[in-house]
Amino acid sequence: MDALDERPWLEAVQRILNRSHLWRPDQIGETVAATMARLAVEATIYLVDHEQRALRALPLPDRKTPEPLPVDGSVAGRAFALVRPIATRAGWWVPMVNGTDRQGVMEFVLPAGADPDAPGLRERCTLVAGLVGHLITTSEPRGDHLHVVRRSQPMSTASELLWQLLQPLTASCDQLTVSVILEPCYAVGGDGYDYAIDGSLARLAILDGVGKGLKAGLGAAVALAAIRASRRAGGDLYAQTRAADVELLNQFPDARFVTAFLSELDMDTGILRYLNAGHPPPLVLRQGAVVAELTGGGRMPLGLDDAGAEVAHHRLEPGDRLLMYTDGITEARDSAGEQFGLNRLVDLAEQHAAAGLPVPETLRRLSHAVVDHQHGLPDDDATLLLADWSPGASQRTVP
Amino acid sequence: MTSEIVTVTALPGPRASTVLVVAGEIDRDSRPVLRKAADEALSQGPGRLVLDLAGVTFCDSSGLSLFVDLHRRCEADGGWFRLAAASPGLRDMLRVTHLDRLFPPYDSVEAATGLP
Repeated sequence: MDALDERPWLEAVQRILNRSHLWRPDQIGETVAATMARLAVEATIYLVDHEQRALRALPLPDRKTPEPLPVDGSVAGRAFALVRPIATRAGWWVPMVNGTDRQGVMEFVLPAGADPDAPGLRERCTLVAGLVGHLITTSEPRGDHLHVVRRSQPMSTASELLWQLLQPLTASCDQLTVSVILEPCYAVGGDGYDYAIDGSLARLAILDGVGKGLKAGLGAAVALAAIRASRRAGGDLYAQTRAADVELLNQFPDARFVTAFLSELDMDTGILRYLNAGHPPPLVLRQGAVVAELTGGGRMPLGLDDAGAEVAHHRLEPGDRLLMYTDGITEARDSAGEQFGLNRLVDLAEQHAAAGLPVPETLRRLSHAVVDHQHGLPDDDATLLLADWSPGASQRTVP
Repeated sequence: MTSEIVTVTALPGPRASTVLVVAGEIDRDSRPVLRKAADEALSQGPGRLVLDLAGVTFCDSSGLSLFVDLHRRCEADGGWFRLAAASPGLRDMLRVTHLDRLFPPYDSVEAATGLP
């Protein structure tokens, strides 16, 4: 049987790769399906929507598009959430990532009678899903098709702007995983984040532009771009904050400030250096408890001329988690006016970590807990950034 | 939401200052009401402004941003901008954002206007 031989799979990889140079985003689904059909394997690509609640199939011309599958409560969702291939009687559900950023899942239905656990099959399905995950990311900018598939509703102008500026939600290296989640994802205003992992340094930042909607988004966009430009020109944390001050003051005479926490973690030593421009202090979590609140390095928000800041230090221990958040998380209110609060945030973060969930999945569940607390009507942007300084956490983000 | 959620009353204060007595919630929607009152006070006086916040039950970041703007304008006029009687919640916000470096909160209007 073709599907059990290695060679046809390699040929399939070659065909998909060759075709990817010229395919339009709307041709990815059918190209992959047709290629795998040569092995009598039925392959379907599912992309996760922005709210990370459902997996949405890429439509195929000659087939009825399957209904979206819930991330919570489906086999497909389990493969996505745990970043782990899962076998069924008919074949495999395989997570699809770009690097470690979760894109969705692929379903492989094997020819009747084929044993999913036959040697090598799981690896081959993972190989194809790995390739497709990367190709989807690189092909997405060519058209609107994949953007549209990922959306359950239209996006606001501010959201459209901000998502173009932001890094992928998850990135890992051998020593560290960093992951972010931002709500309301279709109507986000002025929240933002950034990271850059180079050499032994992981630069991690979270921002919150004053006000709401596009106005707030423009402030955050200017701050983010100024921080990057300075950093890439060799600027240290202080220089980055001052660069943001200058640009914000130039652009917005009406005191459009941005709160931000900027940090650099030395992944060899665990030393975290940071500045806090009027942002809620991030937390260091260890074995179910908050062991530090990063209250040092204070200055006024970006956009206010504050030359007086001094970089603060904190030493992380291996396995420590650094949790940054914006006030939309802790101040999220339920219908009775009760705030979500810091204690609930920490308890949930540590429960999920103790359960061995991948970092992006911990954040997905945390963020949904916040949205559910507000009965689905978020009033303010709510962003979480979680960095886990452990090789084990990194491994859990790899399929 | 309408702008009626905040009211602002202007009173003459010591040292040629104006005291704006603010009551209600300061957010993106209500901020123009406070801005208008401040504009009027600044157009008439020497840029010495006190906000009496005893009656303010809520203030978001757009409120803080207005305070910063007013602070800048008062300083540019050679005057000062001071906050009085802010609630514990608002004081927390000023502390977390480090904006208390620009305008340390005073316990009362008397304390805020006691200094030259």
